[in-house]
Amino acid sequence: MKNLLLNKELPQIMHIDLNSAFAMIEQQAHPSLRHKAIGVTNRISKHCCIIAASYEAKNLGIKVGMRLDEALLITPNFIILETDPAKYHYVYQKLMSIMKSYSPSVKMKSIDEGIIDFHDSLKYVHHQSLESIGQEIKEKLKQEIGDWITVNIGIGTNQFLAKVAASLHKPDGMDKIDHKNLIKTYQQLKLTDLTGIASHYEARLNAAGIYTPLDFLQASADTLNRLVFRSVNGENWYQRLRGFEVDNFTTKLGHIGRQWVLNKPTNQNNLLLPSLQFLCQTTGKKLRFKNVDARGIMIWLRFNNGENWYQRKMYKVSFFSDHDIYQKALYLFNQRPNNMIVQTMGITCYQLTKSARNQISLLDQVNRDHWLTTAIDTINEKYGDFKIFSAGSLNSTKLIKQKIPFGGTEYFSLLLQHN
Amino acid sequence: MNPIITIDKVVDVIAVFKKDKNKKTNCLPAKIRYQNQEIIIKQLALYHPTKAGQRTIHVFDVSDGQNDYRLEFDTQNLIWRLMAMTIN
Repeated sequence: MKNLLLNKELPQIMHIDLNSAFAMIEQQAHPSLRHKAIGVTNRISKHCCIIAASYEAKNLGIKVGMRLDEALLITPNFIILETDPAKYHYVYQKLMSIMKSYSPSVKMKSIDEGIIDFHDSLKYVHHQSLESIGQEIKEKLKQEIGDWITVNIGIGTNQFLAKVAASLHKPDGMDKIDHKNLIKTYQQLKLTDLTGIASHYEARLNAAGIYTPLDFLQASADTLNRLVFRSVNGENWYQRLRGFEVDNFTTKLGHIGRQWVLNKPTNQNNLLLPSLQFLCQTTGKKLRFKNVDARGIMIWLRFNNGENWYQRKMYKVSFFSDHDIYQKALYLFNQRPNNMIVQTMGITCYQLTKSARNQISLLDQVNRDHWLTTAIDTINEKYGDFKIFSAGSLNSTKLIKQKIPFGGTEYFSLLLQHN
Repeated sequence: MNPIITIDKVVDVIAVFKKDKNKKTNCLPAKIRYQNQEIIIKQLALYHPTKAGQRTIHVFDVSDGQNDYRLEFDTQNLIWRLMAMTIN
């Protein structure tokens, strides 16, 4: 085999992944549900989507993303629970605080996984090996949260290899990938086992004659750039597969929004508008929480016949208040094809800029908007969410439950100011 | 399908405050009186705090060895509520 130019440095990135996080935390909280096939969803209904499944459920073939009725066909004893964000937030905080006790360089990738970079701190952690630190973290989680909590730990020279290592032996595994066992590890995997390679990329790789991770590793940067990814992504993959870090960047906040799948699809305004108004209020809260204003707004709908529709508009003046967002959203929403039955609706605010609300405006109306919004936010922060809200969204505040924020943790504190 | 029954009732609770042995929390509910029945808690499964506005609520998920119970202690009113139980 030709010289593959692998990264030969000591692995100093640790990826920690809570196993089937929400389901495992629920089993921790409910001892009577341990060793049983359970799942977690945002709101229980016949067709609700399972967002986490216990290992017992997974062993029976129940997968994340499956509908409840499908899971019940596999096993009628399947138990479904609704999400409890406060519980997951507590475990998230515990996990983060344990991770930060080893290095200041901790990055949470989502609510159930994070990365510790030991590059600048390993020599200060009692000269322990990363494997022994990993073992210690597993024990601390059991002591501080509960004995049912298990994590997968992966150690590698970059974030990608650490994540791949963390997925090798689930649940409760710990693996290290470095230049010595990299090829052997790739030999045991399929292309889609690699984080970031799903069926679409797999097809592109296959078209270029790449069928295994080892083929992928042996492909030249030029082949990956020109034939497979047709962008700088090819060079990134070339580096990533060899254990060099290319994923250590922060993403810029581009848009903020919310979506909602209706319990009963309808085309009736009296049923749709309260939900739209509620989505506007929660989007407004997120904007203000991130201290940004928006200039663009988009409304998108999915109809019960599977068709999608969207309308968007840019404004010269930025906006942030629930009232403004709703007025602008309503203008777009009213342009939809009226006869179509709406199944899912979503709102997205974009063209975000840092808020200038701390500066008093020359326009009295802008100041009044700001003061009113601030007063309402303050009252809701003190007494709990939706103590004051638009009367038009009265029914929706009871209907639409806050969802668990996948992929990011930035709204967790906001989500928890509830009730 | 969903074995959790919502109760949301104020209950009598006897709690034990320990020095530092248990790292989950130093406060352990030991006994609940609900509908004239005494439930003896055998296990603290999970503790977590939560917020209702600015009020802190301490949530204790406990078990009597057979069923699971969710107890909440409101730090503003100093009231224990039995929020839910899991029946098997």
